Amino acid sequence: MLSTLHPLPKLIVCLVWLAASIAVFDPRFQAGIVVLAALALILVERRSPLLVLALMIPFALFGFGFLTTATLFREESDFATRMAAETPFGSPAFSAGIVLFLRAIACGMVSAVFVLTTEPGRFIKALMANWRLSPRIGYALFSALHLVPDLASEAQQIRLARAMKRARTPRRIPGPVETASLVVPLLAFAIRRANRAAIAMEARGLGAASARTIVGAPQSRSADAIFVIASLALLAILFILTSVVWRAW
Amino acid sequence: MNVAFSAPEAAPAVAWREVAVRYPYATAPAVGPVSLDLRKGERLLILGPSGCGKSTLLNTVTGLVPATIPAEISGEVATLGVPAASRSPAAWSASVAQLFQDADQTLCGMTVGDEVAFALENRALPEEKIVVRVDRALDRAGVPPSWRTRRTASLSGGEKQLVALAAVLAQEAEFFIADEPTAHLSPQAAARLHAVIGGQGQTFLVVDHRLDGLIDTIDRVAIIGRDGTLIADGPPRDIFRAHGARFAQEGIWRPLASDLDRLLRGIGIALDTPPLAVSEIIADLDRRPAGDQSAAGTVIRHFLWQRIAEPAEATGQPLVTLDSAACAPLFAKPVLRDVSLQIHPGETIALLGRNGAGKSTLGATLAGLLRLKGGTRTGPAGGFAFQRPETQFTEGSARAELESIVGKGSAHVDTLLSAWRLESVATQHPFELSQGQKRRLALATLTADTRWPFLVLDEPTAGLDAAACDEIASRIAEIAAEGRAVVVITHDLDFALKTCSRGIVLDGSSVAADAPLLDILRDDRLLAGAGLATPEILRLAAWMEAAPC
Repeated sequence: MLSTLHPLPKLIVCLVWLAASIAVFDPRFQAGIVVLAALALILVERRSPLLVLALMIPFALFGFGFLTTATLFREESDFATRMAAETPFGSPAFSAGIVLFLRAIACGMVSAVFVLTTEPGRFIKALMANWRLSPRIGYALFSALHLVPDLASEAQQIRLARAMKRARTPRRIPGPVETASLVVPLLAFAIRRANRAAIAMEARGLGAASARTIVGAPQSRSADAIFVIASLALLAILFILTSVVWRAW
Repeated sequence: MNVAFSAPEAAPAVAWREVAVRYPYATAPAVGPVSLDLRKGERLLILGPSGCGKSTLLNTVTGLVPATIPAEISGEVATLGVPAASRSPAAWSASVAQLFQDADQTLCGMTVGDEVAFALENRALPEEKIVVRVDRALDRAGVPPSWRTRRTASLSGGEKQLVALAAVLAQEAEFFIADEPTAHLSPQAAARLHAVIGGQGQTFLVVDHRLDGLIDTIDRVAIIGRDGTLIADGPPRDIFRAHGARFAQEGIWRPLASDLDRLLRGIGIALDTPPLAVSEIIADLDRRPAGDQSAAGTVIRHFLWQRIAEPAEATGQPLVTLDSAACAPLFAKPVLRDVSLQIHPGETIALLGRNGAGKSTLGATLAGLLRLKGGTRTGPAGGFAFQRPETQFTEGSARAELESIVGKGSAHVDTLLSAWRLESVATQHPFELSQGQKRRLALATLTADTRWPFLVLDEPTAGLDAAACDEIASRIAEIAAEGRAVVVITHDLDFALKTCSRGIVLDGSSVAADAPLLDILRDDRLLAGAGLATPEILRLAAWMEAAPC
């Protein structure tokens, strides 16, 4: 359902949630955002709970860095320690670390909701149609967005070719040495891919005319307004619950 | 195919005047000097050995060379009456549609629907008009409507080529340029493209190696030699009769009928009109006396013997066995199910099917590169020649690639470079080579490696000239004679007939047929269902069986 929404109101909502996550220094608020984002993916978008948990891993690893910094290097995290002085995790340093840890996951999950429910092509079209993004920049961005899956696919081809030369089936997940050896060929591929995309776009007239039609640009519907109001209301409720009601208990 | 030839107008669509192109750091020009005219409404085919600069010449038409692809260009190129450099390559897109040799150079990585609409959006056409043109182009190219929302990066090589074709057809430009358009297309899809070229009202400039089916839609042929200069130019019937022997020496493709015509003329049987299709020769022979038919029969028997592999019985223990296998690309769902087959020593097998049927997946599975999602595979790993040859290169030069297989300093490296006509590019980085040269290098390294009990070659002839295809065919015969096996994934049924005795047809996510190749290619219903078509040479074989000689 979120996938059918106009990408730009959805982007604005996600940015507001990210800003709230950064502004509110409360672990319950951060945890609430994480839970709501996960529920949106699992219940509304029908994503596998395992996938959602797996998505949290890189953000959790990132957040764990904040947690250890706050706990072990108090001088560097003095501001955060003072902000977290009233949190319920005993030591202010550890409380600050927990908030930063949860914030990293919360920001990651809100971003994941946007990325997983927005088709890049629709997003770029919406930017060009509504925010006058230059088509040259828009399609360059578009190519960059698609480069990631293309790199993954090319990496698999190179791994197959190397496995063939070694006469054995490639491992499911490449080891660190194999991964490092893929960097240069993939860089070369990325340069060639970008060059080919530039030729393809040039040969098919990108930038030849000052005006440009955008076929199938996302149209705003009442569902987008309902989504914006509902999600901002949900954020307000979460804030009130965590900062007023919960604290009053 | 009967085609009403166009009546070219006087002003040229393209005029090359002493044009020569030299790429940065290259010691010799990639092409030229060439002087040639393409008249409006004319359909011109450019032929030549791979690496002779055909693609470079096409890229000068809209100024891609040198505006986007850096190169030093001398001489003059005028397109539709004005200097090509007077407009940007993008500005030419309204009047010139260009289909590149590599589909990734035509496609930008969007969904199929967006790709086909892209050029029309850039011209700011009304949305309703774009929708109509996109529908029409998808239909003409034979792209199923269900593909619209698929990303082009998720398509197979042949499927990408179809979408690229739809994308340039949608431009409905007055001038259509196509570089190796049928290299990865199934015979049915290639026939659809030939029908487009045979249509009226457009100017066509085509580079292609698969001539049968295409050549009778062409008004004029220009031949470029190994040195990048024009060696002949004229109507196809006259050109192939006058220069056929020289083209054969230079490794340039000729229509099948043209080769047979040359042999028949050697015994005094000359058609009044030089033939371009085997059916024309058969029609002429049918009108001749029994003596001529008998003499022709002797020549034709030898002609067929050179082009149709002998049936061979499977012997010995199987090299590799698939039992109820479910085959899938890496990290993807199975595309083939319940595949059971064996490959025996000395077998040569053609793996056939429409674009996207799962041929490459089955080939990689046979070679032991992909894990099965179900069933079992027994047997050692095999060598695999990838559809995109770049994937296989790991060294800094063509010579180093070969040395990595046969050993540094080995004299055999020079023999291989010479056999595959790569001497002149031995010190170049593999990525700097032309598509045909890259494929030759990839095949040279793979076939020189004697570790493999069997090889799988994925589209080995795509983009190759006749000499390279002959080299591959003879290597396949040698490998089979050594007791190893070869699986050839191909859309080129003439090449399949020449090299393979057994055929496997994929259709409907499984094996539709596994039988002697000749039996498969005589089964019209099977061929039609699998996107294939009867090769022209079998018409000749059928005539021989029916003729009183």
